[in-house]
Amino acid sequence: MTQATAPAESPPSPASPAAPKDGRTSQRSLTRRLAARPEIGALIAAIAVYVFFFAVATPFREAGSLANVLYEASVMGIMALPVALLMIGGEFDLSAGVAVTTSALTASIWSFQLSMNVWTGVVVALVVALAIGAFNGWLLVRTGLPSFLITLGSFLILQGANLAVTKFYTGNVATDSISDMDGFDQARKVFASEIGIGGVDVKITVFYWLILAAAATWLLLRTKFGNWIFATGGNQESARAVGVPVTFTKIALFMTVGAGAWFVGMHILFSFNTVQSGEGVGNEFLYIIAAVIGGCLLTGGYGSAVGPVIGAFIFGMVSQGIVYANWNPDWFKAFLGVMLLLAALVNLWVRRQATRR
Amino acid sequence: MTDSTISTDGGTAVGDAAAGDRAGLAARDGQPIVQLRGAGKAYGNIRALHGVDLAVHPGQVACVLGDNGAGKSTLIKIISGLHQHTEGEFLIDGEAVRLSTPREALDKGIATVYQDLATVPLMPVWRNFFLGSEMTKGPWPVRRLDIATMKKTADTELRAMGIILDDLDQPIGTLSGGQRQSVAIARAVYFGARVLILDEPTAALGVKQSGVVLKYIAAARDRGLGVIFITHNPHHAYMVGDHFSVLRLGTMELSAARSDVTLEELTNHMAGGAELAALKHELAQVRGVDVDGLPEEQAVRAPVAAQDAGTPLAASEGTSS
Amino acid sequence: MDRTSRPRPRRFALVTAAAAAALMVAGCSSDSGGKKAEEDSGNASAGKADTPRMKVAMITHAAPGDTFWDLIRKGAETAAAKDNVELVYSNSPDSAKQANLVQNAIDQKVDGIAVTLAKPDAMKSVVAKAKKAGIPVVGLNGGIDDWKEQGLLQYFGQDEFVAGEAFGEKLNELGAKNSICVIHEQGHVALEARCAGVKKTFKGKSTTLNVNGTNMPSVKSTINAKLKQDSSIDYVVTLGAPFALTAVQSVDDAGSKAKVATFDLNKEMVDAVESGDIEFAVDQQPYLQGYLSVDALWLYKTNGNFSGGGQEPVLTGPAFVDKENVADIAKFAAKGTR
Repeated sequence: MTQATAPAESPPSPASPAAPKDGRTSQRSLTRRLAARPEIGALIAAIAVYVFFFAVATPFREAGSLANVLYEASVMGIMALPVALLMIGGEFDLSAGVAVTTSALTASIWSFQLSMNVWTGVVVALVVALAIGAFNGWLLVRTGLPSFLITLGSFLILQGANLAVTKFYTGNVATDSISDMDGFDQARKVFASEIGIGGVDVKITVFYWLILAAAATWLLLRTKFGNWIFATGGNQESARAVGVPVTFTKIALFMTVGAGAWFVGMHILFSFNTVQSGEGVGNEFLYIIAAVIGGCLLTGGYGSAVGPVIGAFIFGMVSQGIVYANWNPDWFKAFLGVMLLLAALVNLWVRRQATRR
Repeated sequence: MTDSTISTDGGTAVGDAAAGDRAGLAARDGQPIVQLRGAGKAYGNIRALHGVDLAVHPGQVACVLGDNGAGKSTLIKIISGLHQHTEGEFLIDGEAVRLSTPREALDKGIATVYQDLATVPLMPVWRNFFLGSEMTKGPWPVRRLDIATMKKTADTELRAMGIILDDLDQPIGTLSGGQRQSVAIARAVYFGARVLILDEPTAALGVKQSGVVLKYIAAARDRGLGVIFITHNPHHAYMVGDHFSVLRLGTMELSAARSDVTLEELTNHMAGGAELAALKHELAQVRGVDVDGLPEEQAVRAPVAAQDAGTPLAASEGTSS
Repeated sequence: MDRTSRPRPRRFALVTAAAAAALMVAGCSSDSGGKKAEEDSGNASAGKADTPRMKVAMITHAAPGDTFWDLIRKGAETAAAKDNVELVYSNSPDSAKQANLVQNAIDQKVDGIAVTLAKPDAMKSVVAKAKKAGIPVVGLNGGIDDWKEQGLLQYFGQDEFVAGEAFGEKLNELGAKNSICVIHEQGHVALEARCAGVKKTFKGKSTTLNVNGTNMPSVKSTINAKLKQDSSIDYVVTLGAPFALTAVQSVDDAGSKAKVATFDLNKEMVDAVESGDIEFAVDQQPYLQGYLSVDALWLYKTNGNFSGGGQEPVLTGPAFVDKENVADIAKFAAKGTR
């Protein structure tokens, strides 16, 4: 069912390999093109950081340390993926950090208060997490306010609600233990177990992280929806004008962040059993940092799903590497900031070099 | 009549394979594809547009001219489905319609190339080309983009319009303004547009690039599309236009076929010639005001029969391809 | 998007999903644990005094959602309920804001103020104003060196620093050589004071480890990393019960032989202490601090009594909880008051 007027008049042999070259645009070399990909700068920065800590900190070299770094990176990285997709789509979600805690609290409180199998709590938490995402998205498309503002509001609401609701039901700032309830052990196996590889215990979140990253990359680069994400973030009005369902795309992206928050929340719940209601505050910026280091533009329309994976890995390496290297802990945050800035600068420099014409 | 979901096979916006035939049919029986009769749009108390008559025939270029604020963008928005008219009639293929989304207009074969081009600068050319109408293959849930076919098709279509790009992966923002316009036009043509609306395509371009765009307008016209060419430059309009309408403060001041109006008359109209002519009559009474340079009333009126050899400059250019 | 052909299959799917959810919810109760299994605990419900209603303001430097401070508040609320006192609780970790809150209480013309002197200099002037307004002020938890000088009536509790010192002594007793002090909120006055106290008296090597308290997986990883970095660490000191439990996991992951000891208790920790996963916990009895402060103000109002003779603080701790005596504390911890 193709356009009827076109084929009749198009020039012959469109598949001819020797189609005349214009000379106006020269084919960029493979290395140039590779270097222009959003994640290459992050990869180079990651290699640099790894080599640096390898040299500077002896314990860093062990396999167990790598597993440890990967664990921290994965818990952050699983959230960085949907946050990055949302950023490519042109929006921010500042409530992502506390949404993780909200879903963990929901599952825990629901199961405990109603004395139900924890799996019901898990399902209810998913519904709540998706609802929060849908709410953020709906509010955005309805009001047209900047997402920064809207999600700042929902961040504050969730932060307050986390504490107040927990206090209301448990009388404490943390939830009650659910480790002796039905379904807990099963759920722990699913969300918080370990897999031994070559004598090293690797947490299951690392595997989930990599699988989700692959799925996100495929979604972004190989599906229609991915094209819509780029368009919505690159130029929303243009996208709408050519028939891209911008509203649907944005709400769907916010709901994906919600789903990510649910998953990480479940991991935290079944890993640590009790949930501190004040957790998660401040993490939303870490997700954004991972996405930006990974090459996603803050203004949207450009980025990848592999980038945030590398960004999260860099973050994990830096925060643990500082400890392995036994640097003065009082300077911890300052070191973290410096190394993240350096990583971002390397990324920027590589991208500039690649796209210079 | 039209495929209502965002159709994916073949990526056409018109779900009707006989689009080309219809274009031919319409030409034969002279019915315009798109027609506005006494159309108007009011935003509350403000009448942005009223009493507009416009007919677009396949294989012809209808130029809509007017200065800023004349109502040209409101006109386009009505035809392209972004707004709805509040008075008069909007006919497509002889049937009265009321479009509620751009998607509906696209489905009926009305494609608009906007001033800001409706392209996403950071995305590659081929992704932009198929934006909103991507080709896919495979069953759900692993339905994926058919990238190879899309790239090939984009390349073919662009070459058919005379645009040769070596690297379709480059972000469309790296192309020159004229090239981008051309890609947008090629896109509209490919997706089965029967009517192409161009919103001030040459406004931000230099002389040479404007020439490139005008060439592509002519190429589209020659493929049987009806073109609505919106501009405030009468020279550009006269190069490719078959019919001219001048909008002023929301109403139509002039509506004439090419044979009935010269470039000079057109330019005068654009420059507010009617008002100047009236002013001339008043000022003639006052001493010390030189009114010789102002146009005469006859010069400004759109005559039914203009004997002047308003040399049709674009006659030969328009048919080149 | 065409609306006509979609809704029917979609609506059907929604209805089935809802039905399935309802069925699942109905059949999914838990046989163990949960609220059903929880003992019904009231608070220490005594009777209620018949003295006239009075208003007491308690202003602390707690950060919102901190377990320790919650216990102080609970103690205060229990005393308030018993003494027919209206308790107005407010807090801010920022000392300037805390001083403002005290001023707020003065403006409300409360009958008594209980305040923590985490940064004594910041509170000096506003405490003086309270005294001038004739409002009795007691101190709790922080300010053991300054309460007398500022003219506070009484002082309950002990400084974090003092608690830290006692902690360090205990570590010496147990023969520890190399400890890390895990600060879960860098720059927090109370936490830093505790670690400083430990460092003062502990004879072995003591280093601080900063972790991100709002990100538990990160806490786990960081402690793990530190244990790997220095395999001679034999004690991990944490400053909050949840972090102690996480530290236990880290020690396990890192395959380290280090022991875990902590400040503050909670009911989840009881099992860990019993089993020896956590060597000991220091209980500063925050519940008692809160309780005594409010009760003392009531006593002063109704009978002019005050403890300590205006000279000595009333110490509420530290009490060390370990395998031997945890069983006694367990049931109180279960109520969430220890």
